[in-house]
Amino acid sequence: MIKTLLGHQWKAFWRSRDAGKSMAIQLVIGFFTIYMLVSAIGLGFFLQLLLRKAYPGQDIIKIFYGFILYYFLFDVMIRFLMQDLPTLTIQPYLIQNIQRKQLIRFLNVRSLFTVLNLLPLLLFTPFIVMSIGTAHGYIVAAAFMAGILSLTVFNHFLVLYVKRKSIISSWWLVMFFVVMAVVIASDYYRIFSLSRISSVLFSFLQEHIWVCILLAGMAALAYFNNYSFLLKNLYLEDIVGKGRRKEGADYTFLNRFGTIGVLAGLDIKLILRNKRPRSIGILTIVFLFYGFIFYKEQYIKEGWWGALMAGGIFLTGLFVSNYGQFLFAWQSAHFDGLMASNLSVKTYIKSKFALFTAVCTIVLLLTSLYGLLSWKLLLIQLAGYLYNVGVHTVIAVFFATHSYKGIDIGKGSAFNYQGMSAEKWIYAMIVFLVPMIIYWPFALFINSWAGILALGIMGLLSFLLQDWWVDVLTKEFFKRKYKILSGFRER
Amino acid sequence: MITVNGLAKIYAGKTVVDIAALQVQEGEIIGLVGNNGAGKTTFFRLLLDLIKADRGQIISREINVAASEAWKSYTSAYLDEGFLIDYLTPEEYFYFVGKLNNRSKADVDEFLKDFTDFFDGAVLKSGKYIRELSKGNQFKVGIAGCLLQNPDVLLLDEPFANLDPTTQMRLIKMLKEMHARRRLTIFISSHDLNHITDVSTRILLMEKGVIIKDLHTNNDTLSELEDYFKV
Repeated sequence: MIKTLLGHQWKAFWRSRDAGKSMAIQLVIGFFTIYMLVSAIGLGFFLQLLLRKAYPGQDIIKIFYGFILYYFLFDVMIRFLMQDLPTLTIQPYLIQNIQRKQLIRFLNVRSLFTVLNLLPLLLFTPFIVMSIGTAHGYIVAAAFMAGILSLTVFNHFLVLYVKRKSIISSWWLVMFFVVMAVVIASDYYRIFSLSRISSVLFSFLQEHIWVCILLAGMAALAYFNNYSFLLKNLYLEDIVGKGRRKEGADYTFLNRFGTIGVLAGLDIKLILRNKRPRSIGILTIVFLFYGFIFYKEQYIKEGWWGALMAGGIFLTGLFVSNYGQFLFAWQSAHFDGLMASNLSVKTYIKSKFALFTAVCTIVLLLTSLYGLLSWKLLLIQLAGYLYNVGVHTVIAVFFATHSYKGIDIGKGSAFNYQGMSAEKWIYAMIVFLVPMIIYWPFALFINSWAGILALGIMGLLSFLLQDWWVDVLTKEFFKRKYKILSGFRER
Repeated sequence: MITVNGLAKIYAGKTVVDIAALQVQEGEIIGLVGNNGAGKTTFFRLLLDLIKADRGQIISREINVAASEAWKSYTSAYLDEGFLIDYLTPEEYFYFVGKLNNRSKADVDEFLKDFTDFFDGAVLKSGKYIRELSKGNQFKVGIAGCLLQNPDVLLLDEPFANLDPTTQMRLIKMLKEMHARRRLTIFISSHDLNHITDVSTRILLMEKGVIIKDLHTNNDTLSELEDYFKV
C-alpha cells in the first residue's frame, strides 16, 4: 500500500503544473541540488585532510567527535526553516478504504525523502569509513554509521513534531527558539561545552558500540511520538486555524491616503495573514541584521565605500526585492476580482509605489542605527534609499507587468519555486547590475563618493518622475493584461 | 445599455463564444441558460474585460469595455471565489469594497443591516476569514459585495448553485425588489430553469457559444426551455 501511495507522489511530482513547463528553472534547481550534494561528498572526503591541516599533531578523530553534535544542532535549525510537512496530499485518501495507520506510515515514510536527510550521510560516511574504519575497525565504523543515521532520523521526526505542534500553538515555536538560543548561548558563554559533550559521547560510543542502539532507540522514540500524535490528530490539520477567532483590523491612518492607502493596507494584511508572504516578511526583518556583516569596522576604516554602498542598497531595498519579486502574483487568487472592481489600474500601480516607499522609509529609519558605527553610513544608506525608492521600485513594477505566473500564498516559501520563471532571474540580475552601472563610472574616474552621490541623485530624479513612470507602467500593464490574468487564473 | 457586436472568443481553434449581435436595454434581467461549455462564464469574463475577445466588441453605455475602464464604476460582478479576497474577514472585505466605491464604514454597516436574514448569522461577526467560510457563505459575501456597489449592471454566475433553498428564494426576492426600486440591468446564469424563468425578463439560451434562443419571459418560457433540455 505504501508503495502505491509513494507511486502517486512520484506522479504528482512529475505531473505537477510546474514540472515540464519551465525546464530552465528545473535545471537550475537541479544544478544547485547536485552542487550541494557534491560539495557535501567532497567535504566528506577532504574532512580528514582539512582536520589534519587545522589541528596539526592532534588526534583528528577526537576532534571530529567534538564536531558531530554541532552539526546536528545546525541540522535542526536548517530543518526547521526548510523541511516541509507532507500533509495536504493525504486528503483524497482519507475517504478510501485504507487504514489510518497505513496512511500515517505513508506520511512518515514520504517525509523522509528529502535532500536534508542525504546530506549528513554524504558528509560523514567518507570520514567514518576512511578514518574511524581504519583506526578502530569496521565494526566501530558501522556503529558510527548507525549512530549518525539515528541522529538524522531523530532530528527529522523531532522537527516534524515540533512543526506540527507549532501549527496548533505558536508557543511551541517560541519554545523551540528559546531552547535553541539557550543551547547556543550556553555553549558560547562556556556554561557547558557542546563540543565536550559530543566528544565524550562519541568516544564512549567508540569504546562501547552498543550505545548506537540507544541512539537508534531515540530515533524510534521520535518516530513513534510523531506516529501517535498523527494517529490522534489526523484530521487536525484541516481544522487548525479555524478554531481561533479572527478579528478584523482597520488601519485608520492609511485611510487618510484614500484608495491608495486602502490598497496598501490590503497588502499589509496579505503579508501578515498568509504563509508565504509572511515568511518573506520575517526574512526581511532578519536580513536587517545583515548590516553587522556588511558594515565591517575594517571596511569603514579602510574606506571600502563601494562594498559598503552595495550593503546599503541591499539593506534599504530588502522589502522591494523580496516583496517585489511577486508583486502582482501575490494577489493572483483574487486578481480577477480586483480587475473587475471599481479601481483603475493606475491607482493600483500607484498603491504599489506608495507601499514600497513607505516600507523603505521605515527601513531607512530603523537601519539608521547603523550610523552609530560611522556617520558616513548614514549618507550611504540615504543614497541607497533614494536609489531603491526611485529606480528599484520601477524595475520591480516593470517586471511585475511581465510575469504571468500566479502563486499560492498559503504554502511555505522554503524550497518553493512556484511562480519562479526565467524573468525572475533576469530581474535579480538587473537589480544587481543597474546600481553598479551607475556607480562604477563615477567611482573609477572621480572617486567612490562621486559614485554614491550619482546613485542618490539618480534615485531622486527617478523618484520625482514617479507619476510619469506610473503612466508608462500602466501602459505596459495593459499590453499584457489578458496574459497576466489568464496566467494567474491557471495557478 | 449594452451592445455586443460580432463577438467571438476562440480557444485552441474552437469558438467558445460567438455572438453576432445582442442588444440589452437598461433594466432588463437577462437569464443565461445552457449546458456546460455553452460559453456563459466566458461571456461574463468578456463583459468584464478579463479575457481578450478575438473578434468584435462589447459596448457598455457607449464605452468599449476593452478600451476604457470607465464601466468599472457602475458594473459589479461575482463569478467565483477569485472575486473575493480570502484572507480578509467578511466585514473587512465589505469595508474594502465600500472604500473603493466611496462608501463610509457607517454607510456600509447600515447597508449590511438589510442582509441579516440573507446571511443567516453565519457571515458577519463569524470570527473567520473568508477562506474559512463554506462555499455557500462565500457566495453570499460575494453577492452582498456586488450589491454594496450600487451597480447599474450586475453579473452573477450561477448564484443558485451554491446557495441553500431558502437563500435562493431570498436572493430572487432581493433582486426583484432591487430591480423594482431602481431599474438596474442584471445578467444571471443558472442551470435552475425554474428560478431563472422566475427572475428573468429575458432568457438567452446558449449552445456552444451561440445564442440559439432569445425569449422574452412569459408563461410558456419554462416549458419551452424544458423541451430543449429534455433527454
